[in-house]
This record gives sequence, structure tokens and C-alpha cells, in this order.
Amino acid sequence: MDIANTTADLLARIALGDQSAFRALHDLVGSRLLAIAMRVTQDRALAEDVVQEVLVTLWKQSEGRMAGQALTLSWLCVVTRHRAIDAVRKLQPTTPLSWKDEAGEEHQHDVEDESASPLTQLLEIEGDHVMQRCLRALDEWPRQAVLLGYFEGLTHIEISARLQRPLGTVKAWIRRSLNGLKLCMEGQA
Amino acid sequence: MNWYMHPKTNEALAANYVMGTMSARVRRRFEKVMAQRPDVAQIVSQWAERALPLALSLPPQTLSAGSWTRLADTLELNVAASPKRWWQRWLAPVPVGALAMGLVLGLSLPIAWQQYVQTSPTAMQLPESYVGVLATPQGNPGLIVSSLRRGTIVDLKVVTALPVPAGHHLHLWRIDKDGVPTALGALPAAIPGEILHMSLSQPAEEAFFPALELAVSIESDQPPPGQPTQPFVYRGLCGKIWK
Repeated sequence: MDIANTTADLLARIALGDQSAFRALHDLVGSRLLAIAMRVTQDRALAEDVVQEVLVTLWKQSEGRMAGQALTLSWLCVVTRHRAIDAVRKLQPTTPLSWKDEAGEEHQHDVEDESASPLTQLLEIEGDHVMQRCLRALDEWPRQAVLLGYFEGLTHIEISARLQRPLGTVKAWIRRSLNGLKLCMEGQA
Repeated sequence: MNWYMHPKTNEALAANYVMGTMSARVRRRFEKVMAQRPDVAQIVSQWAERALPLALSLPPQTLSAGSWTRLADTLELNVAASPKRWWQRWLAPVPVGALAMGLVLGLSLPIAWQQYVQTSPTAMQLPESYVGVLATPQGNPGLIVSSLRRGTIVDLKVVTALPVPAGHHLHLWRIDKDGVPTALGALPAAIPGEILHMSLSQPAEEAFFPALELAVSIESDQPPPGQPTQPFVYRGLCGKIWK
């Protein structure tokens, strides 16, 4: 049984209040969720807090999930990224993205991560998953915009600032890229 | 204008929700829509599945050593913090409703039996049997399962019937002390209040001896499942009625 199926089984047992299943889930996917939170927050302590918050909420609300919302590993990953994004955004008011100095010159506080880009990291990983193939098929800038949104939790405005492209252009890139990804993945499924 | 009635808009919003490009305010608004619209939540689930390989592409990061202890302390859990006593292992997985129902049955059945014994001209000993009292996820009484110790027929009484989609059936599982489910077989179509019968491929003593709990899930008719593929819809303790 792969990690996604095992997670779904554990989540079903957790919904029935099974504490041992909750422990097993923590051990199974905690490291995956921490990786997602760390990629967004770039802060280990903050990322650990995010994972704790996600799991606490899961245990407390396991029976109160949305109708139609499947309890799956992918759902846990989305929730973790959202919590990580929220945690980073809470910190951001003290460090504005851009500002003007006394001379009126504009500065960008946000600088590019010096480590390998998300795409580079993704493509370095062995394997030929459909998602990777479809990402490679996108043009470079739209692909960067999607991955900045996904891996770093940036909003459209923040992606626009990071890539130094107009907001409307970034929105159009992301919209077209996501449509392209969907069609590509459905075509290769 | 209700934007959420347009399939293309829902697709775009779901994709942006999963990709994380929504502001917090827009995301909260969209989550309210998801809570009221299972079809929209389903689209989000599909996008989340598409994006899963991206999430799993990140190298796993080891949690700090105290992660579980911190979580267990926050939620006042007692799993694996120390070896649990036998009665804690027995009671931990039981939904509150099932536990309450089990206690009520446990207290009332002996009294009723005693009255029967005292009034019956042909008082006899209760046959050696296995009994399972299963609850729904909401904690309501769901299903009563019983079988003679050396029999191969299981008697079932459905207390709370559940709709089963076409091409699917209710499947009975035993759950051992390690939480591992093992298939026992398909249940016959339920008729509330009626006693149903199910044949075992082995004597009840062999089928139920390892069982700490019994559980039922809704499974597709083909092929027979090796493991549960859906959440349990009934679950509860399994006990033996002899010394």
C-alpha cells in the first residue's frame, strides 16, 4: 500500500477517534508535511508549529470536514501549505515587500532564494511523473509563476513583484498555465 | 451575480486555491463556498490530487524528537507515551456512543438474563458465543454481530441501516490488537430489525479469536477487497461470552 492509500486508511480510522491511527499518521506523513511547511516558511521552528497546528486541527475536527471534501494525503498537503502561508503572512507586516527611501528610490526587500529553484529541485528528482512532464511543457516564466505560488505561497501581487512583471500578466500566466496543466495531465492519464 | 455557478470559474478558483495564489480573505470566502457546495469541494479535491506529486517531490524533513509528545500533550492523548494497561487498549478505539451502548447492554443483559433464568421452567446456560456491538461514526447503535463459538454462521441485526450504492456491499472486518484489519466476508443486504445470516469460511473461534474489534466498510462488489478502501461505517468491540 503506498503512502496515499495508507494515509487515507489512517484518516478514516482517525475520524472514528482512533488514537493509535493518529500516532501512525504523525509518524508516516509528519516529515512530508514539515517539508512543505519549511519550503514556504524557510523557518524550521515556524514550520514545526505549522505541522502541529494542522494535526491538532485534524484531530479536533476530523468528523466535521466539508461535505464532498475527501480526507486524503493531498488534502493534508493543501491544508499544511495554507497554514504555512498564513504563518508567513502574519510575520510580513514588519518587513514590507517594497519601499521608497528618502530620495524616492524604490527598493525590493524580497530577494530570490539562493538555493536551487523549485523547478530545479523538482526536475532533479528522479522519475518521470506526469506532473513533471506537464510542467516542463510550460513556458519558462509562466512555469516560474506557478511554482512560486505553489512552493513559496506567494500571492499574485507578490509573484508580480518577485518576477518584476505586471500583475495582469502574472494572473494571465497562472490562469493559462493551470489550464494547460489540467489538459496536459488529463491527456496523459 | 453568482460566480460559483460557472464551471470554468470554479475550475480556476479551485486551481488557485490549491496552488496557493489566493489572498487569505479570498481563500476564506472560497472555503465558505466549498462548505456549501460539495461539487466545488470535489473540484478542489481533484486539483489537490493533481498537485500531490509537487508536494511529494520535496525531500522529507525529520520532525523534532519531541514532536509527538508535544502533540499528545496538547490534545491530552495517551498513545504510546507509556505502555497502556489492557483495559485502556480495549477501550481506546471505541467511540463514546459504542462504549455507552456496550455499558448499557453489559449492565442490562445480565439482569434480564437473571430474570429469565428465575422465571423460565427450563433455565439453561447461555451458549459460548462471540458478540460484537458496532456503532456508527456518530456513536449511534449500528449493528449487532453474534456467532456460536464453534459455529460457521454469523447472526446480524442492523439497528441503523445505511444506504449502499449499486455495485457495492457492506464488508465485515476483524481488527486485531495491532489495528490490522482482516476481511471476514460480505454482509447480506440489510433489512432493519431483521436477523440476517452470513456464512464464515472457517469456525467462528478461528475467525474472531484475534479480533479486538469488528468493523464494516462499504466496498465495491468486484474485486473482493484485501484491505478496506473506504472509511468504516460501523465499528465496535468484539467479545466472547464464556469463561
